[in-house]
Amino acid sequence: MSVAALTKKILQAALFYEIVDAMKVTFRHMLHRPMTFQYPREQRTIPDTHRGALGLLRYDDGRERCVGCDLCEAACPSHCIKVISAEDPARPLQRYASEFYIDITKCVFCGYCVEACPVNALAMTKMYEYSTHDKRSLLFDKKRLYDIGERHLDDGKKYLYAHNQEKNVAQSREYRYYFPQSVQKSTQPPPKHLS
Amino acid sequence: MGLKPATNPDVEGATIELSIDGKSVTARDGVSLYDVIAMTGKIIPAMCYHYTFDPFGSCGMCLVMQEGKKAPVRSCTAKAAAGMVIRTEGEDLFLARKKAVEKHLSVHPLDCPVCDADGHCELQDMAFQHGVTNLANAKQKFIPEDTRSLVLDFNMNRCIACAECINVCKDVLMIDALQFMKKGGFNQVVAKGDLALDCEFCGDCLAVCPVGAITNKFSKYLYKPWQMKKTTTTCNYCGDGCQLYLETKDEEVVRVTSPLSWKNKWGDRSETAKGHGGLCVRGRFGFEYLDSKSRLTQPLVREGGRLVQKPWLETMHLLVDQLTEIKEKSGADAIGGLVTARCTNEELYLFQKLMRTGFGTNQLDSSARYGHMNFVLASKRATGLGRMPNDWEDLTKAKAIMLFGSNITETNPLTAVRIKEAIRVYKAQVMTFDSAITNIAKLASHPFLIKPGTEGAVIDGLVKTTIEQDLVDEEVVEKHPRAFDALKSAVANLSLEHLAAQTGVPIEAFREVAAIFAESPRSIILCAEGIVRRTNGYQNVLKLMDLAWITGKLGRAGCGVNTVTEEPNEQGAVDMGAAPEFLPGQARFDDPAVRDRFAKAWETSLPPVGSGAHLIEILKRCKSGRIKALYILGENPLATLPASMEVRAALERLELLVVQDPFLTETGKLAHFVLPACTYAEKDGTFTNLEGRVLRVRQAMDPLGESLPDWHIMTALANAMGCRWEYQSANDIQAEIMKLLPGYYNLGQPRKVVPVPDQYLSNDYAAEVKARYQQGPPSGENPRPFSLLMGQLLVHSGKLSTQAPGLMKIAPNTGKLRMNIGDMERLGLQDGVKVRLTSDRGSLQLAVQADQSIAPGTCFFPEHFNEPPVKDLMPVSVDAATGVPSFKQTWVSVEQA
Repeated sequence: MSVAALTKKILQAALFYEIVDAMKVTFRHMLHRPMTFQYPREQRTIPDTHRGALGLLRYDDGRERCVGCDLCEAACPSHCIKVISAEDPARPLQRYASEFYIDITKCVFCGYCVEACPVNALAMTKMYEYSTHDKRSLLFDKKRLYDIGERHLDDGKKYLYAHNQEKNVAQSREYRYYFPQSVQKSTQPPPKHLS
Repeated sequence: MGLKPATNPDVEGATIELSIDGKSVTARDGVSLYDVIAMTGKIIPAMCYHYTFDPFGSCGMCLVMQEGKKAPVRSCTAKAAAGMVIRTEGEDLFLARKKAVEKHLSVHPLDCPVCDADGHCELQDMAFQHGVTNLANAKQKFIPEDTRSLVLDFNMNRCIACAECINVCKDVLMIDALQFMKKGGFNQVVAKGDLALDCEFCGDCLAVCPVGAITNKFSKYLYKPWQMKKTTTTCNYCGDGCQLYLETKDEEVVRVTSPLSWKNKWGDRSETAKGHGGLCVRGRFGFEYLDSKSRLTQPLVREGGRLVQKPWLETMHLLVDQLTEIKEKSGADAIGGLVTARCTNEELYLFQKLMRTGFGTNQLDSSARYGHMNFVLASKRATGLGRMPNDWEDLTKAKAIMLFGSNITETNPLTAVRIKEAIRVYKAQVMTFDSAITNIAKLASHPFLIKPGTEGAVIDGLVKTTIEQDLVDEEVVEKHPRAFDALKSAVANLSLEHLAAQTGVPIEAFREVAAIFAESPRSIILCAEGIVRRTNGYQNVLKLMDLAWITGKLGRAGCGVNTVTEEPNEQGAVDMGAAPEFLPGQARFDDPAVRDRFAKAWETSLPPVGSGAHLIEILKRCKSGRIKALYILGENPLATLPASMEVRAALERLELLVVQDPFLTETGKLAHFVLPACTYAEKDGTFTNLEGRVLRVRQAMDPLGESLPDWHIMTALANAMGCRWEYQSANDIQAEIMKLLPGYYNLGQPRKVVPVPDQYLSNDYAAEVKARYQQGPPSGENPRPFSLLMGQLLVHSGKLSTQAPGLMKIAPNTGKLRMNIGDMERLGLQDGVKVRLTSDRGSLQLAVQADQSIAPGTCFFPEHFNEPPVKDLMPVSVDAATGVPSFKQTWVSVEQA
């Protein structure tokens, strides 16, 4: 080691150069606005296309959109959806999902299920806070999914809009499938646009 | 369309040559152009085409360009002609086909998500194939759904009017229950007369529907086709042995589908002679017992008069202790066994091995004893062949078919379809002799309604007229002049007038039928429950053999005497030796050489000759206390045999009654041990159907609860009794059978064995034949005017089908006696009026109902139901030669109660 280098090192040690150098960054940042935000107290703005927790949607008249077609189950790459469908006992000839499960721990948030859904019953919301102590509660059942859908209805609709799946209300009505009635007993009036 | 298949064996179509896509192709004249193109391996889309019936030509997809024509032509309805130049591919054809798809789609609801056919839909496939993404003017129909039928829903919004359902119903099945009707501006498929569907419910319309217009009520909305596991297996309702696909999801049987489907639409029309691949109502809709709630899931042991659930291990310990004790105390002859013919071949083999080597007794029998044994023993005696000589193909291509006492459309619906095809395509003459107005009689060219119980006399008359009219095949008869002389003298003292009066068949009819039968190149006799389940069944089958022999039909290709079986594996039960007189392979039990062979193979000594007992004898020995322990596998004698057999007393006297069954049967309720067995859906194995084809049964799901396959239970029992059996699966048993009976596993193709009557004719025949032809007693005035018959319904099979709720919904137990309308009017009875039914055995009260199929002077009650216990009115007569109990017919009086 040369004399000059040694002198420099001793001088830097005496003057606490490293501390000054380090503090320089700190002091510079004292003048900045903070880059982070205080997460639980402050919430981040999330884009409409965000893929968060899945929810099931209803039509405006409160009917379940889902017709239990199992296409989401077929589309799911991680096999986390299970649909059991049945005939609605209250309204004969109406198919619906009697049970609907999404194992959200397995979900990879690809959004294929939403794309596969022919009636736009599934949507992804901006909800991502569902951490829990009990892993079992992460198997979302039908009730939970409808709860999510209800609470985050706007998010869901925005998601569908942003993904070019459902543009407006009128269009969503056209998407809707009207079941035929039974010859024996009519269970619903024919839809307006058909009568 | 007039496009008959060029498959009639009598008429060979001329060979023509035409050019398809530049290649020269030879074909038969008069065949549909579509068939010719399909034969070259090219597939042109077609939605209304199916090879089982004539082309209909409504979908407009099978377009091809024919040189010299401006527009594309529909290849299915065009006849192939010599010199045609055909182009099947090209942009213009693709666009024309796409237009046809768009036309169908524009009036088709886009409800794939809720449609059951989603993923199994031809219109969907075609839309994908042709890239249909936009529809110019779509129109929704909003037709109400027809849910009135018990098994099928008709959603005519989805119908594409391909008429496959109508065609298969009319042409293939000859039921004709569907029609087109213009309603609401659209052509719709409705049941005849737009009423609720009331047909045989075979569901073949459902199978061929290329869209979701006809849906299965049992699986509606439940699952999509891709979610279910599909297992190819064999139906276990009747002896037809139809292949079916059992579609399951986990532990639940969702539906049954058939090889007949719009997906398998390309085939050779002549292939349908081996079966068209469809199912009947039992096969398609009778699956619900498989995962029924009433299945046994735990072993039951009698404790203090009640059956209580016990674990397997404890049950087996208790059972083996008791069995060993009885065997040590009273010897092997104190044990007997009965087995049902609904078991697989492997299990039947294992059962007789267990009885003969494990327990050391020959007191065993199967449910083939209820009728099929009459045929087997008679046929074996006369021709050395213990099964049907003909298969379905022979039946289809026959020119004359004689049906004796057979309501075949109800007992064996798919064999009946073969006869229908014989009538329709091959123009066969069908002669039926039955004491009921059967469905097949309505299609037959020579239907005869005979007086009940006179089937034997009809055969007498036919044999006599055959000899009288000199319709005898001289060549065949000259080989055995002594036998023929004996037969001639035996029938000489029969009087035709007497037989005509006795049977109700005019003498001219005897002559005509005998002439048709003798002069046809391929004639088949089919005798069923009216012969083999009635008194003198053995003798009557032998008489039929005589008739076939003197007309030269015995041993000739495409001719023979046949029967049908009620349970799926009755033939297998006989072949596997589950009868006291047979060892496996139908070898005689008392044949020393065979006994040696099996004793060596099983490394044990067989029970002595003469110690065996058949069903009736076993029950007798139970009652006398000689048999102390009875092992009943799936059989239910208590609910089957009339009370006069005193089955209950016999079973109650037993020290040990073990019943192994999937359900708690009437017999099971008396048992000391009830072992839960699996159904055919939960095990591997094989069935032998009535043709002698060995068909695979495959496991579709895991055993329900703690139930186990029968072979598993028997292996455990045998090992506990000191045998050393090392079967790990049904395959191991199969390997053993293959070693002992080489060639038995014929992979669906029965070995063609020619029946040879020479042995019998040159030895015992002359001595026996005299006793066979006896003038029946004069039909005087009977004190009881009505003949009570018990038989099978289309929808049911044995007692098993009563466990399937779907079938019970279609045909519930009405508890009513079915009578002819004329008789009811004569007696002044209305539907539902209570009558008193009296036979020599007792009397009971029940309501009556009118039934079109019942002949005057007879009344009918289905054998599947014991409520009210009509079977107890029946006397039982046991055949001296075969031990077959017959209890399906008696004389009764009917009075208003």
